[in-house]
Amino acid sequence: MILQTALLIGVVIFSVLAILLRDLLKSAIALAAASLLLGIIFFRMNAPYAGVFEISVVAGLITVLFVLTIALTKTGEEVRESRLVKWAFPLVFIAFIVVDALVMKSLLGQVPALAAGAESGSFGEVLWRARTYDLVGQIAVILAGVFSVLALFRKREKHD
Amino acid sequence: MIILFVVLPLIVAGILPLVGKVSRRVLPDLLANATLLALLVFAAVAGRPLIAGGPVLQQLSWLGEAVNLRLALDGFSLLMLLAVSLVGLAASLFSIDYMEHYGAKANYYALYLVMIAGMNGLILSRDLFSVYVFLEVAAVASYALVAFGLGHDELEAAFKYLMLSVVASAFLVAGIAVIFGMTGHLDFAAVAAGLKELNAVPVMAIASAFFLLGFGLKAALIPFHAWLPDAHPSAPAPISAVLSGLLIKVSGVYAMARIFLNVFGLTPALSTVLMWLGVISLVVAAFLALGQKDMKRMLAYSSISQVGYVVLGIGIGTPLGIAGGLFHLFNHALAKGLLFLTSGSVQQATGTRDLDAMGGLAKRMPVTAATNLVGSLSIAGVPPLNGFWSKLLIIMALVQAHHPAFAVVAVLASVLTLWYYLIIQRKAFFGQLNAKWAAVKEAPFWMTAATVLLAVLCVGIGILFSLTVTTWIQPAADVLADGIHAVTGSWGF
Amino acid sequence: MTNTWYLYVFFAAALIGAGLLGLLAKRNLIKLFIAIEVIGKGISLLLLGTGFAKASILTAQALVITYIVIEVSLVATALALIINITRHTKSLDVRNLAKLKG
Repeated sequence: MILQTALLIGVVIFSVLAILLRDLLKSAIALAAASLLLGIIFFRMNAPYAGVFEISVVAGLITVLFVLTIALTKTGEEVRESRLVKWAFPLVFIAFIVVDALVMKSLLGQVPALAAGAESGSFGEVLWRARTYDLVGQIAVILAGVFSVLALFRKREKHD
Repeated sequence: MIILFVVLPLIVAGILPLVGKVSRRVLPDLLANATLLALLVFAAVAGRPLIAGGPVLQQLSWLGEAVNLRLALDGFSLLMLLAVSLVGLAASLFSIDYMEHYGAKANYYALYLVMIAGMNGLILSRDLFSVYVFLEVAAVASYALVAFGLGHDELEAAFKYLMLSVVASAFLVAGIAVIFGMTGHLDFAAVAAGLKELNAVPVMAIASAFFLLGFGLKAALIPFHAWLPDAHPSAPAPISAVLSGLLIKVSGVYAMARIFLNVFGLTPALSTVLMWLGVISLVVAAFLALGQKDMKRMLAYSSISQVGYVVLGIGIGTPLGIAGGLFHLFNHALAKGLLFLTSGSVQQATGTRDLDAMGGLAKRMPVTAATNLVGSLSIAGVPPLNGFWSKLLIIMALVQAHHPAFAVVAVLASVLTLWYYLIIQRKAFFGQLNAKWAAVKEAPFWMTAATVLLAVLCVGIGILFSLTVTTWIQPAADVLADGIHAVTGSWGF
Repeated sequence: MTNTWYLYVFFAAALIGAGLLGLLAKRNLIKLFIAIEVIGKGISLLLLGTGFAKASILTAQALVITYIVIEVSLVATALALIINITRHTKSLDVRNLAKLKG
């Protein structure tokens, strides 16, 4: 539990770094590090499949997409972020964390839940039998993504 | 075989790029429209006999193995499927001519069919998470469709739409996680039963708030509407028609109504919130529409206003109110789809959306002017068109449920609606023919055909409103009015 | 709900909050999208934490995997939009996207 909490704090720190760092490439790497830690957290929650997906897809594929975009959009001029934000963000965020902790403390034991039934079968069975409709949805969303990229990068012939 | 509503558009979308390499225009046009026509025939003809004996629950078997594709078709879903097929087909026919100068037609139709598949998938879902998955399918397809022209305005609108939409989706999943945490289930029947047993009002209020935020943004209710007035005008006209006519209703109103009425159960508190959200959208958006110079922007604000009407009707919770709300949802889908299509015809002919620059187009584009008039009067609620009857039902329901103030506001907002629609009609079509437009021609065949189809439906449903209500609207309203029982009774595992 | 659930919800809320604050505060288009990715992490953590607490870790994993697949499509589309936007405005500043009034 201690290790888990430490890892969770690590995820939050790296995520905040990803948002605050000025250099885009460093932000992308911080995001990848956060995903890596999150994947390890998933493994320790007995969720190896989710952990694998988080590490290979989010820390891997999505980071690559980000780096690609950063390379393709090097415009030469940097976007000046608001100076107010630089010290306002940490303050507001810490305030948010404090409120978050207080709310969670007050909610301890207040959220009712039905007794959980035992889960049957292996992960494969759950994914393919119980959540089959979601798989159809996954295929559809992948098609949507592919066609979107094709449409947005198509060769522009003369149009209006 | 109701899975066909989802799978057929997906398969055709999958092969469209290959087809597009062979034939750039004819085959994609043919394939896409044939698919939508098939879905329309299926919904219109085979739908009602299917549900005659109660909701249909599908459990498919594939290659000998029982695959757990759990779908459900009842009166409410069927009404939505019909609306999606009708407006989807009309906008697709319109695209045959309109999308010529955008290029990449096969790609366009592929995205379009995926969006339709996403909407149908949402409608047929029995499971909270599947609702989210297919909502995202339709949304991802719609971002690229809004940006399809690749101009600055379209890209800006699509980006803002995407950003706001993703935040809404995050809240939706948060709400789903809370419900999952409480009940341990995700499918409607088990969740409804579990929530009734737990009766945890404060936590359900939090989950409801998350859902309101998420679905409210998808439905573009005020104050979550900021993305719509940019996204709908910038998109190509047939996409604006589908977005305003279908997507905000399927992703927003249908999902909200299904979850709030059939899974949570409409409590008086929830009813009040929905009614206030509805009436605020109704009034504020109507005022905002008045000041617009851009034709499509005015239509966009009108969509926000009319969706407010629908949510107001459903929020009343009485059978009459729900029936009125659903009837108005259907009518608005047809009429707003029609109006965006005619605006596309005007935009293509004149090259502008600025109302002040137009004038007297009725002389050169009589069919477009006539169909635009039908659509405008329908939404404004002028008898004997369809919009009149649905608005009347909602107002009657408000009076019956002892909300006379709301009823008066609704009537006044209707007058306002009529006003700004007549402004469009007058500025664009009637009046002196602006010299610039002396040479414009009527819109090409498929574009006029699509608008005439929708206009005829508006008139026909208006005249045959009683038949429409008993055949299509009443079964849908009954499902919602049943509340939780509609889901726990016959959908139970 | 077990106490570990509240721990996971606390951190998930922290991530989502950080992402939302980032959306409000940042001006670089790519940074805005990184903020959205952080929100996505918070949501996956919330889903898995809930599954863990309900002894339904298998179902929760299926949900998270589907969610990640959706996220990938979303990222691809959004980054394609961003690249197209920079072709027009030659800048990654979101303030250049203020033409439409909303």
